Amino acid sequence: MLHAEHLTKRYGRRPALTDCTLTIPAGRVIGLVGPNGAGKSTLLQLACGLITPTSGTLEVLGSRPASTAAHLARVGFVAQDTPVYASFTVADHLRMGARLNPSWDQALAERRIAQVGLQPAQRAGRLSGGQRAQLALTVAAAKRPELLILDEPAAALDPLARDGFMRNLREFVAELGASAVLSSHLLDDVERVCDHLVVLSGSRVQVAGDVPDLLAGHHRLLVPRDQLDRLPAGVEVIHVEHADRDSRVLVRAEGGLPPTPWPTEPVRLEEMVLGYLTRAADPTAARAAVPAGEVRR
Amino acid sequence: MIWLSWRQFRTQALVGVGALAVLAAYLLHLGLRIRDSRAGYLARCQPQGDCAQAMAQFVGEYQNTLLILAGLLGLVPGILGMFWGAPLVARELEAGTHRLVWNQSVSRRRWLATRLLFVALAAAAVAGLASLLLTWAASPVDTAADDRFSTVVFGARNITPIGYALFAVTLGTVLGLVVRRTLPAMALTVLAFTVVQFGMPNLIRPHLMPPATVTRPMTADAINQVRGLGSITGAAVVRGVTVPDAWVTYTSELRTSDGRALDAGRFDDCLMSPPKTGATGTFGDTARCLGDLDLHVDLAYQPEHRYWPFQWLESAIYLGLSVLLGGFGLWRIRRRVT
Repeated sequence: MLHAEHLTKRYGRRPALTDCTLTIPAGRVIGLVGPNGAGKSTLLQLACGLITPTSGTLEVLGSRPASTAAHLARVGFVAQDTPVYASFTVADHLRMGARLNPSWDQALAERRIAQVGLQPAQRAGRLSGGQRAQLALTVAAAKRPELLILDEPAAALDPLARDGFMRNLREFVAELGASAVLSSHLLDDVERVCDHLVVLSGSRVQVAGDVPDLLAGHHRLLVPRDQLDRLPAGVEVIHVEHADRDSRVLVRAEGGLPPTPWPTEPVRLEEMVLGYLTRAADPTAARAAVPAGEVRR
Repeated sequence: MIWLSWRQFRTQALVGVGALAVLAAYLLHLGLRIRDSRAGYLARCQPQGDCAQAMAQFVGEYQNTLLILAGLLGLVPGILGMFWGAPLVARELEAGTHRLVWNQSVSRRRWLATRLLFVALAAAAVAGLASLLLTWAASPVDTAADDRFSTVVFGARNITPIGYALFAVTLGTVLGLVVRRTLPAMALTVLAFTVVQFGMPNLIRPHLMPPATVTRPMTADAINQVRGLGSITGAAVVRGVTVPDAWVTYTSELRTSDGRALDAGRFDDCLMSPPKTGATGTFGDTARCLGDLDLHVDLAYQPEHRYWPFQWLESAIYLGLSVLLGGFGLWRIRRRVT
């Protein structure tokens, strides 16, 4: 569905996305997580064709993003801060959608507007952040896209509205039968609705995969501190956390963890993501963890 | 796309139509008054058989009003470019709504082409109607004054204002696309448009067709008919030499019989202390003194029968500039924006 190769975007000399190679399968809800400034918006704007890459290639649904009007029709996009026309009414937005999209589903749009409690005659400029997000999502969804891209759709919402929005989103995407890519800096959001995860930090992809596969491929080992250098080959250390006697080591082991003498624990998604983000924030930490542990003692 | 163009343009269009209605009412009123006034002058002078002076008075009565109106009409395209053109893309980029509309199933190019064409045609209609009304209202004065080729009047009659409006709106739109902010784009639009509107009649229009030339001897009589002598630079020049039924685009300095420019010292002598002869006329002894020097000026001019070719040529130039700018905008929006 989405295939990027060495995708790079720079604004002037500042890299926003660096050498991103990524394949995302169709038919899922994909979560894109990472701290602010990680490159999430850049990746999503590239995916919907709003910006063009500095180098590398990107294919969405088999062709360059926004290459033709027909391709635009297949991708729905809700931008960060969910822009709408302040002077337009809710009904005007639906009318715009109907005029500009050949595959527009007016019944779906009206049903959804009613469902989330919007009045057709309301001016979009007077809507609350949550209502605006719902309106923007409705316009993007009622064109019946094959892929729905949502850039921090819940960022402007209070916790309660956010909860409702995300719960609603999952059902709605299922009802549409579309794939969806959703970015958030809150892992909570993503954990709830996504079944495929891409972790982005420091303009690079840290890890990507189906959530069950990711959970199966990561383990936590409780390793005595003096045996940190005896980790089996074929495991990658993501994060080390030192306790009194033992160190808790987050490792990735593709294709199963080799037998180790130490106790292992399954990893929760949140811990795994945090491990990657911590490593990305300080790239020397994980690699240096083993010898550094010795020195610090 | 047309619905969206209209929906986003609705308020501005209403303001434009309102302003145009006020202007139209005034111009209709003025046009009728001018016709009444002309009939009155003719009724008074025709029994005496000589209407030249009456017509001069008639022209004098309305000339200033019409000049102000021509100036006003000259501003209209600039205002349209500023308020209709500049915000067209810039406001979308500022509000972030381009991210909404550029992800509907319409390519960016079609979006820009439709919106620009819609607003540019509306601007052309407004400017065209205003020009039509002013041309009609002023036609009795223009006929009597015989100056419709002059710089200000030429640009405020017939079809040229349509070209100006198309250009101004396209310029504003493209500047908005490049600058990406509404207010700076508006300011730049007015600035750039003013520069173009100043350069066109002064630098380009005189050369749209190779001018005809004529050498005019500057006898004392001829000098008494010019508008002024000398300039602040002290050069030996005359101002306001006219050619019947023509727009004079260039007047040389005063030249002696061997074709060289008159020495500034001799010109000053005639100007400051001419021999007293008791000559009459506007410039009196000075005219006599200069007339004795066997001087002439070389003139370049565009004859009156080129008026319509010039109207078409100038409109075509502005249309061509608009098309070029619009093409650049379409290229730019695909490649460079965001």
